[in-house]
Amino acid sequence: MTAPPVTRSGNIYDLGYRRYEGPRLGRAHAIRSLVSHSFRTTFGIGRSGRAKIAPVTFGAMALLPAVLIVGVLAIVARLGIDDDIGEIGLVGFSSYFGAISAIIALFCAAQAPELFGRDQRHGVLPLYFARALRRSDYALARLAGFCLALLVLLLLPMTILFLGRVLLSTDVAVGFTRNLPSLPPVLAQALTIAGLLGGMSMAISAYTPRRAYATAGIIALFVLPGIVSSIIIELGSGTIGNLLVLLSPSSVIDGTNGLFFGLDPESGLFFFDLPHWTFLVSAVALVVVFVILIVRRFARIAT
Amino acid sequence: MSLIATDGLTKRYPGGVTALDGLTVEIEPGIVGLVGSNGAGKSTLLKILLGLLDSTSGSATVFDKDVRTHGIEIRELVGYMPEHDCLPPDMSATDVVSHLALISGLPRTAARERTAEVLRHVGLYEERYRAIGGYSTGMKQRVKLAQALVHDPRLLLLDEPTNGLDPAGRDEMLELIRRTGHEFGIAVIVASHLLGEIERVCDHLVAIEGGRLLRSAPLGSFTERTGTLAVEVEDGRDALAARLVARGLRVAIDGSAVLVDLVDEAPFDIVRDLVVELDVPLVRMEQRRHRLEDLFRDAPAGVPVVVNPADAPEEVAP
Repeated sequence: MTAPPVTRSGNIYDLGYRRYEGPRLGRAHAIRSLVSHSFRTTFGIGRSGRAKIAPVTFGAMALLPAVLIVGVLAIVARLGIDDDIGEIGLVGFSSYFGAISAIIALFCAAQAPELFGRDQRHGVLPLYFARALRRSDYALARLAGFCLALLVLLLLPMTILFLGRVLLSTDVAVGFTRNLPSLPPVLAQALTIAGLLGGMSMAISAYTPRRAYATAGIIALFVLPGIVSSIIIELGSGTIGNLLVLLSPSSVIDGTNGLFFGLDPESGLFFFDLPHWTFLVSAVALVVVFVILIVRRFARIAT
Repeated sequence: MSLIATDGLTKRYPGGVTALDGLTVEIEPGIVGLVGSNGAGKSTLLKILLGLLDSTSGSATVFDKDVRTHGIEIRELVGYMPEHDCLPPDMSATDVVSHLALISGLPRTAARERTAEVLRHVGLYEERYRAIGGYSTGMKQRVKLAQALVHDPRLLLLDEPTNGLDPAGRDEMLELIRRTGHEFGIAVIVASHLLGEIERVCDHLVAIEGGRLLRSAPLGSFTERTGTLAVEVEDGRDALAARLVARGLRVAIDGSAVLVDLVDEAPFDIVRDLVVELDVPLVRMEQRRHRLEDLFRDAPAGVPVVVNPADAPEEVAP
C-alpha cells in the first residue's frame, strides 16, 4: 500500500475543468440557434465538401435562368432594340417560379432528409430532447430553418431579375416604378412555395430516417398527384379531379401563382377550372396539415 | 432536499413490458452508481428523469422539481450521455459540441470557449477538428461526455459510459468521471451493468432489478460483504492459507489461488508479509471483480467459507 506522491507537477496542457458562470439564454436562444443551424445545414454550410454538392448544384440551377435572362437583357439594352424591355415575354416574374419549381422540388428532395433524416439515423435526437427545449420546438425550428433556406433560394434569382430589369432600363427611375408592383406577388408566391414544398418535404423526411425513401417520397408527392388528377379530368370526372388538383402541391403552386400575379384562368396555362382563391385556401390548409404531422411525429418518436 | 427522488415510479411500455415497477428511491449528490443487469430499468429511469419518456404512474423529482411539469428547467442544468451512438459522423467534435452548447443556451462566444475547454478536459486535442466518423469508440465516448458537460450542468446522467471501450479506455473514462464528480462537484449518476467497474468511482450505489429497488446504500456497505483478494502462488498454497487463517482471516481455495476475504485493507499487508516469510513463489494478486449477483443476497452468504486446508477438500469459492 504505497501512497501516491502528494505533490505532482501538473501537465502544462491540463487546465482542468472550469465552471461556467456566464448567462444561460434559455429556450428562445436554443430555438434561434437551431433555426440558423438548419438553415446553414440546408445549404451545406459548415459541412463537408460532399454535403455541399447537391445544394450548390440545385441552387446554381435555380439561379441560372435569372442570370441568363439578365444577360439577354443586357445585350438587348446595348443594342437598343427596345426601351420597354419589361414587356418581353421571357423575362416575366410570373413565369419564373413555374420554370424553376421542378428544381426547387429536387432541392427539397435532396436536402430535407439532411435535417430530420440525419438526426434520426445517427440517434442525435436524445441530445436535443435532453436539453432545455420542447420536442415541438425542435421540430418547428428545423422546419423554419429549412423553409427560410427555400425562401432565400426563391428570392435570390428574383432579386437578380429585378435588379437587372431596373438597372438595364433606359431610365432607371421609370424601370423601378414599373417593376415595383411585381414585388408583392413575388414575395407572396415565394412564401407560398417555401411553406408548401418545405412543409411537404420536411413532413415526409420526418417519418423516415432512410434518405432514399424520403427523397423518393418527396419527388413522388410533387409529381404524381398532378399527373393522376389530369388523367382523371381527362377521363371526365371533374369533381374528383379538381379535388385531387387541390391536394397536389405542384398544381396548388401553379394556382396561387395565377392568383398572385393576376393571370387569366382562361389563358391556357390551366387545364383545370377552379377559381384561383381555392388554391390559396388549399395551400394554407396543406401547410397546416404538414406542420401538424411534423409536430406529432416528434412528440411521439421514441428516443 | 434531495437531488433525485422517485415515488412509486412505474413505466410500462406498450406491449406489456414493465421497465420500472413502483421504484421509490432518493439519491443524494455525489457519484452514484446505478447498477442492474440489462433490462433492469436503468436507462428507462434516466430517460424519465430527463423527460425523454413519460412515466405510467408514480412521480419523480430532480432538484425538487417535478420532471413532468418542470422538464425544461431541469434539463437546463442536466447533462446526458446516452448509451448508444448519437453523433453525426460527418461533423467534427468541435462543431457538434459547440452546436449543442448553443442549444443548451450558451451565448456564441461562450459556447466556443466552453467547447475548447471541455474537449481538452476529456482528452481530445488536434483530432477534435476531424470528422467524428473516423473516431475510435473511445474518442466517440469522450465526445459524448464532452457534450454532456459543455453547459456546466449540476447533474450528469451517464448511461453505460464505458460501453465498447477496451480496458485502458475504461480506466480513462472512469478516471474522467471520478475527476468530474469529485474535483468539480458535479453530481453524477452512472448507469452500468458492470458493478466491478463503477464501484471504482462511486461513493453510493443504487441497485435495481426488474424495475424494483434492490438496495440503495453507500459503497462501503456493498464491498464489505463481497470483497475478495485472490493470491495466486506456484506452490505452498496450503501453507499460505493455513497461516492466513491463523492470522484471523477468512480464506478459501480456488485452484492455485488463495482467496482472502477483504474486510478492510489489512489483508494486503498480511499477505505481503506472509509471502515474504514463507518465501512462496507469488504469481499474482488481484482484487476479484464483484459480481452483480452478490448484491442480490441479503445475508452475508457471499463471503468465502473458512476452510482448514489441513483436512478440508478444495472448495470452490463463490
